[in-house]
Amino acid sequence: MDLFAQYVVVGLASGSLYALVALGIVLLYRTSRVLNFAHGDLATFATFVAFTLLSAGRPFAVAALAAVVTAAALGAGLYYGILRPARESTLLGQVVITLGCALVLNGLATRLWGADTKVFPFPLSDTRVYRLGQVVVSQLSAVTAAASLLVMGALYLLVQRTRWGLAVRAVSQNMAAAQVLGIPARTLLAATWALSAALGAAAGLLLAPALLLDPFLMLDPFLKGFAAAVLGGMDSPPGAVAGGLVLGVVEALFGGYVSVRFRTTLAFGIIVAVLVLRPQGLLGREFRRRA
Amino acid sequence: MRRALRGLGALLVVLAVGAGPAVTQERGVTPTEVVVGTSQPLSGPAAFWGVPVTGGMEAYLRLVNDAGGIHGRRIRLVALDDSYLPPRAVANVRELVERHGVFAIVGLLGSANAFAVRDYIVQQGVIWINPLADATIWAGFRGTRYLFVTYVSYVDEGRLLTEYVARTMGKKTFAVFYQNDLFGQKGLLGVKRGAAATGARVVAAVPYELTDRDFSGHALRLRQSGADAVVIYANPTAGALVVREMTKIGYQPQLVATSALADPAMFALAGEAWNNVILAAYFPLPGTDRKVDEVLANITRINPALARNPFNAVGGVSFIEPFLEGLRRAGPTLTRESFVAAMETIRNWDGEVVRGVTFGPGRRHGVTRIYIVRSEAGQYRRLTPDIEYPPGF
Repeated sequence: MDLFAQYVVVGLASGSLYALVALGIVLLYRTSRVLNFAHGDLATFATFVAFTLLSAGRPFAVAALAAVVTAAALGAGLYYGILRPARESTLLGQVVITLGCALVLNGLATRLWGADTKVFPFPLSDTRVYRLGQVVVSQLSAVTAAASLLVMGALYLLVQRTRWGLAVRAVSQNMAAAQVLGIPARTLLAATWALSAALGAAAGLLLAPALLLDPFLMLDPFLKGFAAAVLGGMDSPPGAVAGGLVLGVVEALFGGYVSVRFRTTLAFGIIVAVLVLRPQGLLGREFRRRA
Repeated sequence: MRRALRGLGALLVVLAVGAGPAVTQERGVTPTEVVVGTSQPLSGPAAFWGVPVTGGMEAYLRLVNDAGGIHGRRIRLVALDDSYLPPRAVANVRELVERHGVFAIVGLLGSANAFAVRDYIVQQGVIWINPLADATIWAGFRGTRYLFVTYVSYVDEGRLLTEYVARTMGKKTFAVFYQNDLFGQKGLLGVKRGAAATGARVVAAVPYELTDRDFSGHALRLRQSGADAVVIYANPTAGALVVREMTKIGYQPQLVATSALADPAMFALAGEAWNNVILAAYFPLPGTDRKVDEVLANITRINPALARNPFNAVGGVSFIEPFLEGLRRAGPTLTRESFVAAMETIRNWDGEVVRGVTFGPGRRHGVTRIYIVRSEAGQYRRLTPDIEYPPGF
């Protein structure tokens, strides 16, 4: 039983970070219908910016803020500089553009910071642990999980309880109608790209202390975040959170009790199963754009 | 008449120029240059190895070239990125042979990649120095005439490490954390053989994929096995992360690791957890040998980024050194056959990094020994003299 509980705790810790990544993906997808393959590399790039500042002796808060701002600027820049000029392209074309941007950002990060793995300085310890009976949770895991939930809560309030969030939802439903009503749709889209990238940066900042930092930091979390988004529903932020937590726990239990060899494959199996059985995901609604 | 003679003269000149090189020129060799190629993971999760290994080779070649090259020829390295993916390694090797016309392939990294290109390289008759792959993939393989290997055999290394830990430290049960490809699988095979030879048991084998980043579940599985010792066949990032996770959940078996992790960088990545780890090594590690440290100083002067990963940088030097020695011994008239004959004269030869290399007419497995080290307070301390294992091919 202790072992089971330990697997669940480990799964929830991983799942909260998958959820954070998934939220960034979903937020952008439901607004622009673009699956951003550069999400992980934007986050990694921003995390490297924080690493540079921390290495130069800057306080963590300053470095983290700089990373989030950098990611937001890169996200908005990606929209204004590349995707908007290419607006004539199909959605698939835009997705391919993000894939190209991912490769460019990854190459740039490798060029600037090298391919070697780095220890990311963080105010909390990854090896100091709290014990609840036989169940162990590290200080870092506990705080990052809490921080993830906090960020998710803030995002929920922003999207569901503010006029800005209402405008974003309006644009995602019908851009032309939103524009007629005086909503600055392009600016909102750029802001959504910025916010999505900033969420990615937050995930990167929380992941790097535990997973070490290199240009491929977000490769696995991005894939898991994508699987979580599909599982929860690509247009549902609560679904993304649920999907992340469910995926984290199922993955941990599957690795513990079924097969550690196929643990990595599980996420892809879930994507296939969800797309076949319930394409809208656990909490998503089948999307129909209003005419 | 005069015009006819002039025409005849021109024809003779054309024939002489055209016929000359066709008779004497070797692929990839000119009077001023030798072209060699390599395929390495310069991007992707294995770039941690590929970038410094390639950087080490390039910097060392620059030192050699700046000193006048070998027999008046500069050595030019064409390095292509395969991202550690076998299909890309195949495409790269074809490009190196068919487009760049290389004289030799040097140090292609990855057991699975080497396995994927093995038949093609042999079929093309290209000289191949040091595929960075488990050496046992060559055992019993025909067509090794142009192949020369000084890289370690993971099977023998895993066996000897396990035997050492079982016999001298009294460990009876082993778990293996391994990369789920030929590199890790060969290490696992070696551990199984070592356990069988000593009456110990392998109680768990926990694989991971190269793209994995979260090892908390793997660490729990290892703890669940209750093994006295955990043997690690992983890349540095995965190795460091799983050790940290094991420490976190309070599981502290005797840690044992492949020579690929005998890297000073592990002390920073794994922190306190990388203490009292038993590892294999087959060339002197940076910080333990004057010659190796001199080489490191020289190559980092050329490429300062190599200082971030000194172990793999000098590893790169060790992979290309035997090739350079072969060029020196082959003399100014360089052909594949003269090169092979020269390599076969190498007996117990010490390079600046690699040591004790022996080749011969029936021997292509040039280094067949390891020694055991222990990580202590940020350094690796040698525990044993060289331990020999039989050449496999």
